[in-house]
Amino acid sequence: MDIVVLVKQVPDTESLVQIAGDGASIKKDDIKWVMNPYDELAVEEALRIKEAKGGSVTIVSVGPQKTQETIRTALAMGADKGIHINDPLAEGSDSLATAKILAAAVKAIPFHLIIAGQRAVDEDNYQVGAAVAELLGIPHVSLVAKAEILDGKIRCQRAVEGGTVVVEATLPALFTTQRGLNEPRYASLPGIMKAKKKPLEAKTLADLGLDPAAVGAAHRKVVVKALRLPPERKAVRMIQAETPQAIAAELVRILHEEAKLI
Amino acid sequence: MEREQLEFDVLFVGAGPANLAGAIHLKKLAQQQGREIEVCIIEKGESIGAHSLSGAVLDPKALIDLMPDFREKGCPIEETDLRDGVFYLTATGQLRLPYAPPSMHNEGCFIISLSRFCAWLGTIAEELGVNIFPGFAGVEALYDEAGRRVIGVRTGDKGVNKDGKPKSNFEPGVDLLGKVTVFGEGPKGSLIREVGKKLGIFAGRMPQVFETAVKEVIEIPAASPFLASPFTVLHTFGYPLGLNTKGGGFLYRMKENRVSLGLVVGLDYEDPGLEPYQEFLRFKKHPLIADIIRHGKVLQQGAKTLAAGGLYTMPQLAVDGALFVGDSASMLNVQRLKGIHTAMKSGMLAAETILTAVGKGDVSAATLGDYRVKVEGSWIRNELYAARNFGQALSQKGIAKFITLGAQFVTGGRGFVDPMNITDDASTLQAGRFRPSTQVQDHDGKLYLDKLTGVYLSGTKHEEDQPCHLLIPDKELCVTRCWETFRSPCTRFCPGQVYEMIQEEGGRRRLKLTPSNCLHCKTCEIKDPFNNIIWTCPEGGGGPNYSIV
Repeated sequence: MDIVVLVKQVPDTESLVQIAGDGASIKKDDIKWVMNPYDELAVEEALRIKEAKGGSVTIVSVGPQKTQETIRTALAMGADKGIHINDPLAEGSDSLATAKILAAAVKAIPFHLIIAGQRAVDEDNYQVGAAVAELLGIPHVSLVAKAEILDGKIRCQRAVEGGTVVVEATLPALFTTQRGLNEPRYASLPGIMKAKKKPLEAKTLADLGLDPAAVGAAHRKVVVKALRLPPERKAVRMIQAETPQAIAAELVRILHEEAKLI
Repeated sequence: MEREQLEFDVLFVGAGPANLAGAIHLKKLAQQQGREIEVCIIEKGESIGAHSLSGAVLDPKALIDLMPDFREKGCPIEETDLRDGVFYLTATGQLRLPYAPPSMHNEGCFIISLSRFCAWLGTIAEELGVNIFPGFAGVEALYDEAGRRVIGVRTGDKGVNKDGKPKSNFEPGVDLLGKVTVFGEGPKGSLIREVGKKLGIFAGRMPQVFETAVKEVIEIPAASPFLASPFTVLHTFGYPLGLNTKGGGFLYRMKENRVSLGLVVGLDYEDPGLEPYQEFLRFKKHPLIADIIRHGKVLQQGAKTLAAGGLYTMPQLAVDGALFVGDSASMLNVQRLKGIHTAMKSGMLAAETILTAVGKGDVSAATLGDYRVKVEGSWIRNELYAARNFGQALSQKGIAKFITLGAQFVTGGRGFVDPMNITDDASTLQAGRFRPSTQVQDHDGKLYLDKLTGVYLSGTKHEEDQPCHLLIPDKELCVTRCWETFRSPCTRFCPGQVYEMIQEEGGRRRLKLTPSNCLHCKTCEIKDPFNNIIWTCPEGGGGPNYSIV
């Protein structure tokens, strides 16, 4: 079973996020970049399926040079090879354009299954996975909490309000990950050593036969106009009392008398 | 358990300035000589620089030796225009010293962020082919069968739960083997502690002593008058610590309307009620500082100890198969308030020694001992010799401090007594000196922060489901003798609010630990009056995520 995993490099959520001078992007200097956490689940799931069924795991990512670090992390976890679409013309692409690029890259390689994170935690658009499936004309199952490979099919569990839905799709298919799908493995030290020697192919838009006029910051169909930070946090108030009962009573008193919420 | 082994020629433990400079120098020398050498660095922080915190004023002399073209290589420098002001603070006022002592002249130095600087050195090392592994903690030194020669380091297991049981993503640590292992763990390393016990490298030395610094990077308004003031480097003494507690404050100008602000507290303080974090807040509220940072916003906070003992506390520098560099080997010059340049130089001298030793195929203590000879013959020794009694003089109380400093000034560091004695930090608390801490209460969440907001701004995170990395051998002692005598000083000296004394139903006290708040500063292990806290490495990748401090 040949599996493709779509990954994105995103700012570490613990990073110091500051809005840049243009008011519509973030300052990138002091940021640590990591693999999107939902993509970690995708890589882990792909590796587990490969371990059970054989085959290969290919990582595909779009981004600037430093994106290589994230692809190497996935290779260190155990993926076999990476494809890095690194082209300045692709920078600033919106979700649809990103999906076009990824779909073009995936189309060129054999695959039975594509796994992607449900969303990237930087922009939270939830669009790329579904759009790639659409562009490739294959079924798409979103927010998968459990996946099972059957003969020529995939059976997925999705959580819905109050219960679970079980859905099946024929392969090739694409699904996106939900928290709880698995516990991603650590990149081991020997794994990191081996990853240095694994193939990592760099591609440009031209290599993929893509028209630069369809992608990139200048051709966004959706434009970010402004970014705003959440309101400043108010100081946390710790309720101190001798017993849990007294703490609960004080909490109720505060909610009732001061916050006037109950 | 069978563990995977990975072999290198040289293994550096800890990616601070000493080891990064050492690894870079080693690779460059090997290249010049046309030799192949496999070099590995492990670092417990999630990335290189994530656990590096310092003032920092950098004397570039080691950097120039290492990389004359450091500017072209993109060295991150915050400020090159260093204009010093030294101030004595009273509770409400200040007195500028008409002249700064020579050791505090910083012309020609740079202001840097050590975490940025280390991250940059890391990229240089990687380009030279050094294998760098951030996120991997060394948890145990490995020895040959006779137990005398260091042969490498074992990395920590990952994916172990609170009860010590493997989780589904369990990943066993590996044995990293090096012909030579270089320990550059920074102040109070958890491996050098064990190596020291086993091989006696601290025997016959004065006790290792430390200071704790709490530091912030603050963004101030572009219109702040400080940006047009005659000073870019401020050092203070006096308030809030007074003249009986060693330490002082600093404020340095950085790029982009930022300032680096910190307070250093000598850990030989006597008052069990003293709380370095609260002293830091009081320092921030002093008019001299408060005026500069007004309307500012804290971007990052952190805390770290520094090795303040100097020459007379320097351990044995080489054993069979291993060397010790930087703060781990007491290389910091407390008189100049600088340790990055000496750390880097020590790493480079270690590298030169190693290349010769590996070439000869002899990594015995005798051959590696050439490193000490090199240190003795370098400017490190000259600097540390001049400062050999300086920290001890600062530890004196009141006016005696200045008389001793004056005597040392005219005698080239000798003073009245040479060597002056050094007292172990763990032994200095005086039960009778207890003064309840003056809490600065009005935190505003933006410029004046409580400890937990500070921890948040350090980016500290740990895997929550893992064994506690702070070992308390005698928990009963905490609620009996320690509480009775000192009112649990751990709850105050820890800048991360890891230790809290809880009173349970029935009035019984219990020490509650929140190890995931740990800033890896090691103050607890150093200052605990009963030596009842042992700091071990948590799962690799845990801890602060410093990027600009």
